[in-house]
Amino acid sequence: MEFVGSILIQIGIFTILATSFNLIIGYGGLMSIAHPIFFALGAYGSGLLTQATGVPVFAGIAFGMALATVASVALALPSLRVSGDYLVIASIGFQLGLLQIIKNSEWSGGPGGLSNIPPLLHAVGPAAIWSYVAIVGFAAIASILIVRWLVSGDYGRAITAMRDDEEAFKGLGHDAVRLKLVLFGIGSGLAGLAGGLYGHYFLFVTPEQFEILYSAAMLTMVVVGGIRTVWGPALGAVLLQFLPQAINFLKLPSSVTGPLQGILFTGLVLLFLFLRPHGLLGRAPGARAVVQEDDPTEASVK
Amino acid sequence: MFDRGILLQVLWTSLATASFQVLLTIAFALILKVTKIWNFTQPALMGVAFYAMYVALNWWGAPLPVAILVGFLATAALGLVIECVGFSTLRARGSESITFFIFTLIFAQFVIYVLTLAFTTEPVFMLANMMSPTMLVGDVVVSTWDLHSILIAASLTIALLLFLRFTRTGQYMIAVADNADLAEVYGISKAQSYALAMLIAAIFITAAMYVFGSKLAVYPELTLHMMIFAVVSTILGGIDRVFAAAAAALGINLLQQLSVLVMDSRWQPLIVFSILFIAIVFFPRGIRLPARRVADGRAGTPVLDKAAE
Repeated sequence: MEFVGSILIQIGIFTILATSFNLIIGYGGLMSIAHPIFFALGAYGSGLLTQATGVPVFAGIAFGMALATVASVALALPSLRVSGDYLVIASIGFQLGLLQIIKNSEWSGGPGGLSNIPPLLHAVGPAAIWSYVAIVGFAAIASILIVRWLVSGDYGRAITAMRDDEEAFKGLGHDAVRLKLVLFGIGSGLAGLAGGLYGHYFLFVTPEQFEILYSAAMLTMVVVGGIRTVWGPALGAVLLQFLPQAINFLKLPSSVTGPLQGILFTGLVLLFLFLRPHGLLGRAPGARAVVQEDDPTEASVK
Repeated sequence: MFDRGILLQVLWTSLATASFQVLLTIAFALILKVTKIWNFTQPALMGVAFYAMYVALNWWGAPLPVAILVGFLATAALGLVIECVGFSTLRARGSESITFFIFTLIFAQFVIYVLTLAFTTEPVFMLANMMSPTMLVGDVVVSTWDLHSILIAASLTIALLLFLRFTRTGQYMIAVADNADLAEVYGISKAQSYALAMLIAAIFITAAMYVFGSKLAVYPELTLHMMIFAVVSTILGGIDRVFAAAAAALGINLLQQLSVLVMDSRWQPLIVFSILFIAIVFFPRGIRLPARRVADGRAGTPVLDKAAE
C-alpha cells in the first residue's frame, strides 16, 4: 500500500507541474524550458528555509512558491519586452545557469544534493502516507481549478485574444506583456509548490533531479494529455507515472532504464506533435463546431 | 599575474578554442538567417557528428578522413530529415512558432537520449592519442591542434563568405533569407535553399565536432550545453548577421578565457549565461557599430550598410 501511496503522491506532484506548464505554454503560448528550475527553486527554497530557521513547513512551501514566482518574473520581464522568442532562449540560459550555481555552491549541498529536509508530516506509517496523498491531491485539484478559473470568462477571452493575435490585442489598449507575466508567474509559482511538496516528501533533493532534460517529461504530459485542455495534463501525468513503471518491470540495468524512459517520453511528444497535435483530450481544429467542454477558453469564445 | 606573456598566451588560446565555437555559431546563425527557425535540434546534429566519427575511427578502424566523411554524411542525412520531414511538415501546416520550439527542443533531447543509450553518459575521446605537439613562439606555447583548428575555422568561414557573395546559389540563399515568398516569385526554390542551408550547417557542425573532439572528451548531454554559446553569440552578433555572430563568438570566448585570471574556473560557464541576459536586456538586436558616414556627413545609405554587413 505504501508503494501505491507513493505513486499517487508522485502523480499529484506531476499533475501540478504539468497543469502549470500547460498554463504557460498552452494557454499563454509562452515557450519556456525552465520549468524544472522553478520546481527546483520550490524544493530548495522551502528545504533550506525550514532547515535553517525551523519555520513551519507550510510557510517554507509558501516561500518556495514565492521564490519561484519572483524568479520567473525576473526571467520573463526583460525577454518579453523584446519578443516572445527571446523567452525560450533566456529560459535555457536561466535553467542551465541557475543549476550550475546550485551544483557548485556549498549552501545547496553541491552536486551531492540537499539532505535532511524536514518532513511535512512527522508521523510515520500508512496513515502518514495517506495523509500526504490527501494533501498532494488537494493541491493538485486546487491547481487544476485555479487554471480552469483563470482561463474561463473574461480573463480567458483576453488570454485567447492575446495568444491568437497579439497585435490586435495590444491595439485594443491591453497590456500583453503584463498578461504574459501574470500567467508565467502563476505557472512558475505552482511549479514551486510542486517542488516544495516533493522536497518535504522525499526529504532529499539533488541538482540532477532538475536537469533541463526533465522539461521533456513535462512537455510529454502536456502534449500527450492535450495542450490547452484543463484535464489533459493530469491525464498525461497519470500515464507518465505508469509508463516508467512498465519499463521498471523489465528489470533492465539503470544505465538503460533512464535513457529508455527519455526516449519513450520524447518519442511520444514527437509522435503526438505530428500525428495527434491536440493530444488525447483535445479536439482537432476541424471538430470546433462542437463546443469544447474541456477547454473553457474555447467554450467562452463561442 | 597580468604580465604580457600570460596575456598573449590567453589571447592565443582563446583564438584557438574559439574556433569550434565560431563554427557552431555560424551553423546556428545560418539556419536562423535562411529558415527563420531557432534550430535547437543543433545539439542532436552535434552529437551525431561526433559519435559517427567516433564509431568510424574506434569501432571500424577507418582512417581519419574517412571518419570525418562518415561524420558529415550522418549529420547531413539527419539535417535533411529534420528539414524535409520535420520543418517542412510544420511549415505546410502553418504551425505556430511554439510548435517549432517544442519540435526542435524535444527532437534534440530524443537524439541525446538515443546517444546516451548507445554510448552511455561516460565522456569519450575521439582519438587514441590526444597529445598535440607544441612549439614556443616568443613567450607563447603554440600547439599543432591550435594551428589546425584556427586554419579549419578560418578557411571554412572564408569559403562560406565567398560562396554567399559570389555564387548564384549563395545569392539565392540570401534572397530566400531576405524574403522567401518574393524569391519564389523570381523562380528561386526556397525548399532547396532551406535544404542547402542545412547541408552547409552540417559541414560546419562536423568540422566543429572534429576540432572539439580531437582535444576534449564528449558525452551526449554536453552538446546541449555547447549550443547555448552559439545562441548567445547569434543574439549578440545580431540575428541575420552570420559573420557578426561569428565575431561575437570570438569576443565572448576571449572574455571567458580572460576570466580565469580573476575568478574560479568552475564559475566560468556563468559568464556565457550572464552575457545572454545582458544581450537580451541591452542588445536584443545585437551590437551594431555606428552607421558609416560619407564625406558630406550624411549616414551611408541603408542598402550600402546592408551590403557591408
